[in-house]
Amino acid sequence: MAQSLSHRLTHSALWQSLRVWLTESPRSGAPGYLLAPVGVAVATIVIGLTESAARISDVSLLYLPVVLWLAMRYGRGPAILASVLAFFSYDFFFIPPLHLLTVGEPSEWLSLFALLATALALGHLTAVVRARAHEAEESQRRTDILYRLAQLIATATTDQQLYDALTQQIVSVFAPSGVHACALLLPEQTGAHQIIAFAYEQGYDSCPVDAQPGEASGRPTARDQHTIVRTPLKTTRGVVGSLLLSGAPAIRLLAPDTAPATGDTAPATGQEAHAREQAPLFAAFCDQIALAIDRAALASEAMRAAALRESDRLKDSLLGSVTHDLRTPLAAIKAATSSLLQNDVAWDAQERRELLGSIDVSTDRLNHLVGNLLDLSRLEAGVAQPDLDWRLMSDVIASTLDQLELSGQLGRHTVRIEEPDELPLVLMDQEQIQQALTNLIENALKYSPEGSEIRIQTRVVDDELCVAVIDQGIGIPPREITAIFDKFYRVQQARLPWSRKRPPIGTGLGLAICAAIVKAHGGRIWAESEPGHGATLTFTLPLATDRPQGGLPEIAASAETAPPATPATPEAREAAV
Amino acid sequence: MSAQDEPASLLGAGGEVGRRKAAGARVLVIDDEPEIGRAVRLGLQSAGFAVEWEDRGQAGIERVAQWRPDVILLDLSLPDLDGVEVCKRLRSWTQTPIIVLSVRAHEADKVAALEQGADDYLTKPFGMGELIARIRVALRHTAQSTGAAEDAAGALVRVGALELDLERRLVMVEGSEVHLTPTEYEVLKYLAAHLGKVVTHRMLLHAVWGPSYEAEAHYLRVFINQLRRKVEPDPSRPRYLITEPGIGYRLREAE
Repeated sequence: MAQSLSHRLTHSALWQSLRVWLTESPRSGAPGYLLAPVGVAVATIVIGLTESAARISDVSLLYLPVVLWLAMRYGRGPAILASVLAFFSYDFFFIPPLHLLTVGEPSEWLSLFALLATALALGHLTAVVRARAHEAEESQRRTDILYRLAQLIATATTDQQLYDALTQQIVSVFAPSGVHACALLLPEQTGAHQIIAFAYEQGYDSCPVDAQPGEASGRPTARDQHTIVRTPLKTTRGVVGSLLLSGAPAIRLLAPDTAPATGDTAPATGQEAHAREQAPLFAAFCDQIALAIDRAALASEAMRAAALRESDRLKDSLLGSVTHDLRTPLAAIKAATSSLLQNDVAWDAQERRELLGSIDVSTDRLNHLVGNLLDLSRLEAGVAQPDLDWRLMSDVIASTLDQLELSGQLGRHTVRIEEPDELPLVLMDQEQIQQALTNLIENALKYSPEGSEIRIQTRVVDDELCVAVIDQGIGIPPREITAIFDKFYRVQQARLPWSRKRPPIGTGLGLAICAAIVKAHGGRIWAESEPGHGATLTFTLPLATDRPQGGLPEIAASAETAPPATPATPEAREAAV
Repeated sequence: MSAQDEPASLLGAGGEVGRRKAAGARVLVIDDEPEIGRAVRLGLQSAGFAVEWEDRGQAGIERVAQWRPDVILLDLSLPDLDGVEVCKRLRSWTQTPIIVLSVRAHEADKVAALEQGADDYLTKPFGMGELIARIRVALRHTAQSTGAAEDAAGALVRVGALELDLERRLVMVEGSEVHLTPTEYEVLKYLAAHLGKVVTHRMLLHAVWGPSYEAEAHYLRVFINQLRRKVEPDPSRPRYLITEPGIGYRLREAE
């Protein structure tokens, strides 16, 4: 009878579902299945002892704690096993006829099946609750991991930083599934995929990941006992790259779509169970990474496009500004020379002088413009590597003013130099800094009235040398205080109240050159102004801590006694004076 | 190191210039730009100089030997020979003053040419007035250089309010004596011996401190700055001890 019962049970739907539960058990049940008979045996002994002492109705309930405990601890399988064992043990030991698997009294069937049903239901419910709790925990963990991933994608500042962090994250999250190394491959312009980021588990520094573009996608290959899985990263735009995982054989379960299941003959290991469970998470990872790569690609495309547009705009404005500024003096020169070359006109001395003067002024303007353009293109192309040497700012200021004076640009302005007696040596390219200073002073000259004062103030502030050019001119509107350092930018509607002439000419390059030079020296430049009361343009140069602090030695005074070798001739003396 | 430190060669044109009027002096232009050659020739001829023009370095050297100019204007970028090399070859047999012409940003070439014995330099583009002034300074120097360059400056050098009495080792500013350290005096004396001419950092360091100090240009800057505080009326706008950016110094000649 028991055989027929078990036979029926084997084929019943109940048993079918039991099998499903068993295989789906979240934790390996092996110890649970061993503990089930032990627990039931212990419960049977306890019931036996209790029975001999006093007859208690429904003493079979003592099996239930065992079932409950197994269900909580090991899931459905052991709980069901314990329920069935309890059913037979109770029948065998306590239901007359004793020590036989038959039941004499039909009413005993009821109590026996009540026990089985209660045990099964209890085991099932407990296992369900347990699985739910496990799922909730797992989903919480996944959410956490995906949140960290999203955060990582959002905070990465460069593409490379993003890719490195992504591969690192995959290795750290999926290491329990047997992932030892991960590489991210992106298509090059040629179409071949190249590894652009690579990460491996700590203490696992060999590199079994081998990017072979010809390798069929998704085919795991065994190489030195390492399984390699290649997962394509897909977005709506198509495949944007691929991930290459290397590690234990279990990792192919992470990406079941791409890794066709081979015969599941090998016993399931912990890694495999983990991998199977983490497959959805891995898929979510792949989606996130694909999206991030896609976005990065789009962003850099957008940036390139913006840069191209900007450079086009600059070229246009350069062409506009430069053609005008080149053509004007050229036209003046051409007009003057062709007039002078006319054979049939007799120019008087005064007219000749005027024409020649216009040629002279125009060539100066052309020279200035060409110099500015060359400077800027050299600076921007990075060709003008600063020729750095330790120099004194006071020398640079004096040389700059000498040059401006020589070319007559200082006019009736007065220049006051304010500097301490001892200035530190500064590492600079004198020619470039002189150029920057020239532009700043020219700017001040242009926008301040004749006869006003321009101050050039040098100070050491903390670890910087500050040079300020302070004028008493028209100043700079607050809105334009930073834009003046942009290429081709000129203060809008500049009016010089002391002059009825048109606003001063210029290319809008001077201050841009200053900014480029100062930046190349690791300094800063800025403007301050109170409109109508002048402007202060300041730049700084960093003071190196390792600057030379010594000096030249005093020479021996022995030369003192040496008289001039030969007396100078009176003629020579006269010439010297 | 520099040819200027050695006794002038017998080939120096000094005596001749002394006899010849400065205005009639011969100027040889070595420059491969025809427009510059033409403009300089016209400008100098109208100022009374006799001018010849060569557009190649080798031809220029030969012309110097044949024509014996009083001043040579030498462009540093010539198609056949490096200008510095031309300078070197000329200095091996003549002390005729050489004024180097070069575009901006070629400081190293200028320094090399000066150390090979060139007397002065001018940065292109330049005005004709500036060029004529430099030629006159060079001519005056040849007129003085009868012996060693250092003695040529004479026993008393006066630049504006600055006076240098080489015999008594005295330095006066506006008539009152200024106390200089022996080193400061030597620097001033060396510059005075090359009055009006450019002296490179290396030349000055070599002459005053010796060959092991040739690379200490930055300390020389600090040193000159201190010297200016003693001899310049306004040290922040030097009038006598002029900085030649990236090249060296010049004791400005009285106008």
